[in-house]
Amino acid sequence: MTKQLDLTDIQGNVIRAYGRFGYPVARYVFLNIRHSAIARDFVAAVTKRVTSSVEWGNGAGQIAQPNWTVNIAFAYQGLKELELPRSSLNGFSPEFVQGMKHRRDILGDDGPSSPENWDPIWQGNRETREQDVHILISLNARLPQLLEESYQWLQDLVKAHAQGVVILGGNRGDDGALLDYQDVKVVMENGHPTSKEHFGYTDGIGDPVFEGAPNYDLNVHGRGKQMDDGTWAPLATGEFLLGHVDEAHEYPPAPQPILLSRNGTYMVYRKLHENVATFDQYLEKHAQSFAAHKNLPLDDARELLAAKFVGRWRDNGAPLVKAPDPASKAKFDMQFLGADQQGKDKLLSDFTYDDDMSGAKCPFSAHIRRINPRASLQMVKGACPGSMIYNKEAFDTPGALTNRRRVLRRGLPYGEVKDRSRNDGNHGIIIMMINADINRQFEFVQQQWINYGNDFQAGSDKEILLGNHSADEKTPSKAVLQVDPNSDEAPYFLSKIPRLVETRGGEYFFVPSLTALRMIAKGVIDPT
Amino acid sequence: MAGNISGNAYALTILSPIKNAYTADEIAYADLIRDRLQGWNFEHNSPMAKVPNTYLCRFFVLDDVYTESQPTGGGLDTVRDLSPFVTDAMRRAAVPAEDHLQSRYLVFSCNFHGGPKGDLDAYLRGMWQAISDRIKEIWSYCYGFEQVNDADSFIAYMKKCQLTASLFFNGSNDEALAEQLKALYLKQEFAKFVIDNQGLDAAAIKVNMQAFMQRVAPNNLTAPTWSAGKYRL
Repeated sequence: MTKQLDLTDIQGNVIRAYGRFGYPVARYVFLNIRHSAIARDFVAAVTKRVTSSVEWGNGAGQIAQPNWTVNIAFAYQGLKELELPRSSLNGFSPEFVQGMKHRRDILGDDGPSSPENWDPIWQGNRETREQDVHILISLNARLPQLLEESYQWLQDLVKAHAQGVVILGGNRGDDGALLDYQDVKVVMENGHPTSKEHFGYTDGIGDPVFEGAPNYDLNVHGRGKQMDDGTWAPLATGEFLLGHVDEAHEYPPAPQPILLSRNGTYMVYRKLHENVATFDQYLEKHAQSFAAHKNLPLDDARELLAAKFVGRWRDNGAPLVKAPDPASKAKFDMQFLGADQQGKDKLLSDFTYDDDMSGAKCPFSAHIRRINPRASLQMVKGACPGSMIYNKEAFDTPGALTNRRRVLRRGLPYGEVKDRSRNDGNHGIIIMMINADINRQFEFVQQQWINYGNDFQAGSDKEILLGNHSADEKTPSKAVLQVDPNSDEAPYFLSKIPRLVETRGGEYFFVPSLTALRMIAKGVIDPT
Repeated sequence: MAGNISGNAYALTILSPIKNAYTADEIAYADLIRDRLQGWNFEHNSPMAKVPNTYLCRFFVLDDVYTESQPTGGGLDTVRDLSPFVTDAMRRAAVPAEDHLQSRYLVFSCNFHGGPKGDLDAYLRGMWQAISDRIKEIWSYCYGFEQVNDADSFIAYMKKCQLTASLFFNGSNDEALAEQLKALYLKQEFAKFVIDNQGLDAAAIKVNMQAFMQRVAPNNLTAPTWSAGKYRL
């Protein structure tokens, strides 16, 4: 029998990226606990409304789709204030206990990304008890007025527990305004909602698929783990949910008792500002020389270059390994237009790097290759200079170096770009990454694959889009766009890459199961 | 000692017993050595950067190695298994309950370029010639080091203290250190050259390439190059 997850027990944001299910607007609200017992009552009241992972619909075992969703998570300090027993607290991972701010060196949050430059709400966090971020409540809604309704509900609940919890302000909004919540919404284009972020890339494609997730067998192509025989299998549940066996056939480390951690997980919340003016200028400058280099018209060169940064074309997310040049992209677009939803997902996600080991199509420093290298890290130098070949002998399975480094990605863009010639507007994305082990998964990817290139045989080259590129003239960032080693083409070098994305805040959270929430609220967590 | 060699890399492992004594202000010699080694961290660069062909090395003071001898897997066990007359109590009485080192040790482990035959003498001679004062600063608190007064006696002393490394990870590309440093320098300079010349026509690149080759002198290992131990630009 295949694995069945208890979907009534798992919070809905673990299973669903709400933005893809018709919830284009959301608010993330942060609270500070002032009185433990009243705060537990507050958690109990929120828990009654928390959205689970149960399937939506009118069939048996399904529930009607809600107008707005509620999910809740806790920072370590918050769990302490809720008076979890000391021996339960001791079971949380060290990085979760320390919090994102104090992991800055590992995460590369330096220069403009360093915590001194984060939104005011994060300045006081982990500095002053009264300003610690204890609770995160996320509200996602189908329409802006429904979001207001949900926020009103939350405000009423906070008011009813006024001695116990307060909403923390200090989230930067438009024109420097400081808000009591982080507003997020999909980017609109000509009045229509898109799944794009502010640089123009289609986002949120290819989220990992794991065992037990609804319809995992249908979506597994390119989104699970690559197998030896060319098939795909879902990743082990324990990579994303505590209390389940992971890719090492072990239960991931988790706090006791098991009821506190099972069906719960860790979530990385990160606010990333996007320097749209710098991005546009850098792309334009290099588009011109890239056009000459590739002998392409400027518009084609610009879009191909933008695709090389990420590994996908901006307009529809077509992967470069399937559509490496404008001609093949045109063919891909025809197929894409004719495909149904599942066909589209397959076209976007079902690929490997097996025929692109040397990076000629999707460069080694492109975003998607760095975030999820699939089987491409199992490479050794080939006979032809500059060529890499797949080293089948070295590992048991093609995903040996990748399967333990995957993260589920949630979140939405925030703000609007009103003037593309300026960086200082209110625009970026809130990214929420879900994993069972923050250090092994998120932090490893951030440190080793985004801000360093050695695993990709790319020396110190960083991931092009998210890398913490140096502003120091002596050590400028560069990246190489590889070419077919058997061709006469020259690789293209991206020089002096500026900082395109800056961290503006964040924290590590624990997302308990519904069972754990009820136990936390009652104060009956007992690790003995 | 073939066990110490992998390709052109040599793994040197030295354990020198530290005298069980202390200074006039009551600091044990082992602690003094550790203090001095920690002091090396505050220097601009490690003294070991001056020792030719050093890939990497590590010093530490080994305070003790504690071995619990029970349960043993020795001959007596076998006898006991076969004979019901040897009781467990007898077996326990026959082996020491625990075992410790007789003294504290200075441990020096090092990977260097020794060539296919692993020329340890040449490396140690180079070490003595480069940093004999710094060697004395550390090793003079070890048993037997008073006999060391020149390169030959240093080599003889170190060989007495050597342990065989039968298995080690060779993280180098097997070239001599000067070759590796020059290769690193050339790689970085060439990346800069490509960036500066990208998009120029072939004739211009050819002219610039000639000037580049003149400047970086690929066959000259001594200059321009990275200096050993350098870790920042």
